[in-house]
Amino acid sequence: MHRTFKLLTALTLLVLVGPGLWAEPSADLVAAAKKEGKVVVYSITSRIANAATAFEKKYGIKVEAYNLKDGELIEKVSREVGGNIAGADFVISQDSGRVYGQLISTGYLVNYVPDSMKSVIPAKYQNPLVFQYINKVFIFNSEKTAKPVIKNVWELTEPKWKGLVQFKDPKLEGVNQNFLTMLTSPEWSAKLDKAYQDLYGKKLALTTKNAGYEWIKRFFQNGLILGNSDTTISENVGIKGQPATVMGLFVYSKTRYDEKKNLALTPMTEVEPFSGFLYPAFLSMTKNAKNKNAAKLFIEYLLTAEGFAPWSKDVGAYSSNPSVPIDKDDHPMSFWAPKLVDEDPAYLFQNRADVEEFVNTISSN
Amino acid sequence: MRTVNRLKAFIKKPHNIILVGLAVILAYLTLFPLFSLIRDTFIVHPSEIMSVKGAAVNDYTLFHWRKVFLDGERSAKLFYLPLWNTVQVSLYSSVIAIVLGGAVAWLVTRSNMRFKKFVSVVFIFPYIMPSWTLAMAWLNFFRNRLVGGAPGLFTALTGIATPNWFAYGMFPTSIVLGLHYSPFAYILIGGILRNMDANLEEAAMILKASRAKILARINLPIVMPAILSTFLLVFSSSMSAFAVPAFLGTPVRFQVLTTQLYRTLNGLNPGYGYIMAVVMIVIGTAILAANQWFVGKRKSFTTITGKSSNSSIVNLRKFRTPVSVVLLALVVAVAILPLATFAIESFIMAPGDYSAKNFTAQFWIGEGAEDIGGGEPGVLRNKYLYLALWNSLKLSVIVSLFAGTVGGLAGYAIVRGRGTKLASFVNNLAFFPYLLPSMAFGAIYLSMFAKPTLIIPSLYGSFALLVLVGTVKYLPFASRSGINAMLQLSGEIEEAGVILGIPWHKRMARIIFPIQKASFLSGYLLPFISCMRELALFVLLITPANRVITTLLFQYNEKGWNQWANAINLLIVAIVLIFNTVINKITGASIDKGIGT
Repeated sequence: MHRTFKLLTALTLLVLVGPGLWAEPSADLVAAAKKEGKVVVYSITSRIANAATAFEKKYGIKVEAYNLKDGELIEKVSREVGGNIAGADFVISQDSGRVYGQLISTGYLVNYVPDSMKSVIPAKYQNPLVFQYINKVFIFNSEKTAKPVIKNVWELTEPKWKGLVQFKDPKLEGVNQNFLTMLTSPEWSAKLDKAYQDLYGKKLALTTKNAGYEWIKRFFQNGLILGNSDTTISENVGIKGQPATVMGLFVYSKTRYDEKKNLALTPMTEVEPFSGFLYPAFLSMTKNAKNKNAAKLFIEYLLTAEGFAPWSKDVGAYSSNPSVPIDKDDHPMSFWAPKLVDEDPAYLFQNRADVEEFVNTISSN
Repeated sequence: MRTVNRLKAFIKKPHNIILVGLAVILAYLTLFPLFSLIRDTFIVHPSEIMSVKGAAVNDYTLFHWRKVFLDGERSAKLFYLPLWNTVQVSLYSSVIAIVLGGAVAWLVTRSNMRFKKFVSVVFIFPYIMPSWTLAMAWLNFFRNRLVGGAPGLFTALTGIATPNWFAYGMFPTSIVLGLHYSPFAYILIGGILRNMDANLEEAAMILKASRAKILARINLPIVMPAILSTFLLVFSSSMSAFAVPAFLGTPVRFQVLTTQLYRTLNGLNPGYGYIMAVVMIVIGTAILAANQWFVGKRKSFTTITGKSSNSSIVNLRKFRTPVSVVLLALVVAVAILPLATFAIESFIMAPGDYSAKNFTAQFWIGEGAEDIGGGEPGVLRNKYLYLALWNSLKLSVIVSLFAGTVGGLAGYAIVRGRGTKLASFVNNLAFFPYLLPSMAFGAIYLSMFAKPTLIIPSLYGSFALLVLVGTVKYLPFASRSGINAMLQLSGEIEEAGVILGIPWHKRMARIIFPIQKASFLSGYLLPFISCMRELALFVLLITPANRVITTLLFQYNEKGWNQWANAINLLIVAIVLIFNTVINKITGASIDKGIGT
């Protein structure tokens, strides 16, 4: 009750006074951080480079920002922290199953929530601290039609979509593998089962363990095109002048390229039983961080509207700080969450390896 | 007493000292890792606690072996099918490299073909470029509607849609790897052909042997060792090539061992990957053994004696112009055209739109903009690029100095000690790193040197580790060219120096090295170039702070930020060419000069 009240007060103040009120870190921290003068961050999002430039400008603290792939980041951090070798001071990581299993349970990553954020960020995002949510949704080439081209994910297993759907190779990105794994969970396989019946009016005949596995199998075997990067996929799907209407399941924020790259990309938000998936990126310090104070200061900065600006000025990025505004064309998390498949670290830890093996078996020629 | 005398005699010969030293060091740097690798196939790694249920890290387990070999359809998809694809790709690309590289080498050195200078310079371009960029060029040209987007240049120009087998998978992978490695064949075979004693051919001509017969009975047997070396090198390289099949195979889900290796080493099951690495090493060793058995049957292939040797030039007569033009076109197509497309693509804003208003210098000199890429500045304004470039250069120069020197000495010692067990042991050790797939080699060094071992402190994250792994990995190039150089050199030349009482180091510096300068120098240049464009070897060992240019390039390629990638690729090619030219100007030697015109 008390907490809610405080939160409400904070929010009200925020609305009245505007951003910046809660955003001031303590003078001690700033001084200590400046004394260190440098901070190293590994990040799965490339836009960290822009935040780094802004942070450098604001505080005069040098930033080394490295953009890594999710699996790569996990490997490097476990090597470096495990061997007590100086590396990152803090990291932005994704792939919750592995982050929990390999980095958090081993103590390699240390959770740090700035005091100023403890009452702002919802408790469920505080341990481990979530930096942002990212969503990948079904997006189609809307040059010929602006109307959503599917209503149910089972349509993607029909011949009419054969060879027209793109997805980043799950071997290359943990979160894609996680999404597939989550589909095999009791919750999502039941939803897929129901969606099948809703669409075809008959029971799904299984050749695999459950409806989740079944959908994955038929989805892959319907000529699914695996790509190397979501950026490339967004271009391949969105480029104008293609004979057939194509679509893909990729990062929603790629639609920001529409204008500059002359693409026609429109997301679908009303697909049964899911329109895509959602995953958190975590913001944590490393156990052997050398520049602890600078890391803390940067973490705090990233959680403010100012620090999150490189992300929030486009669609598809949702800060864990609810007071950070989202892009005007985007929907809030409350809109997306029920429509998308979320990650459950415990389920992923138990089942990811099995699903990965299954996917490898059905997907190679 | 007799033993002491024998020992004294043994030590007196410099090549014996070199051999013993190399045997100890190389055993530690190549055999020891092998044991470490084998151990890795039996233990549970940190990321495997998800799949080996109930196990703790570092437990011993047979899980990986069972899964890779004995798990029915899953093993087939995981291992057997990729293995079969790997073997096929490696064979095809070896054949392509030998035929193409050998033909070009013969034409350049032994015929009166036109445009020799140009061809010999440009033909090595595909080897300078990181291999996967040729794959990107292939996709630019030949991609079809399968992956959506705009069709490739070829389809755009001709209206012919390329079939899937042509655009993706085994076929293009073999071609691209074959082209990428054909300079091997060109350099190794050409080096021999150029130095070949013309007396042999003249003798045959006097005996009225036909051109075909001379080719089959004299030229071929002499170049046979080079052909076999090439086969071994190309086969092993293709087998451990990762990025080319990754880019060309993914759209049709074509899998080879390395793509599986990469997935497993970076993913949940590194144990599988270590087993695949062992399998690749076994295959490579088998080929090496076959190769040696074959070479061992031959007595000698001395081609340089103290006598003068003038090679004769074959007159192509009426074929001269057609052959020259065809070859010129081919070389331009595989070496210049890709560079031209990279240059163009690095200036294009919206993909597939080549109108003037779509051209921009953003990706070279622009500031970061969030609506293109992630706000990454143009390559020339990117501080991380300069850091990576500097690291690459430093690394390549140091590695080439180490590898070239050690390899040259190894070549000398191995040939001088020829016939002894020790020499053939060192010969095999010096070549062995080549059979270790780069990525697996990196992985082994990672697990070996992440903690202090024996006398060496923990090296992970240090530049020294990169130098070490690069030197060992590229030693085979240098030792091969050293051996080739020494094999051609008749022993009597050095013996003359010995009789005159000239000390060893002077004999090396004044006699042996100058005579075979071209061959020895290519022992420095090959490691340099290979290192500049190496990815798989370093990708696991590099920490973000000491990353090299290729990891940056691959990252851009993988993300699909092609404009930056193309710009960086051009930078790499330009730098290597500049180095090549500078070395040429200073020493009068260069890779293409190794064959000369």
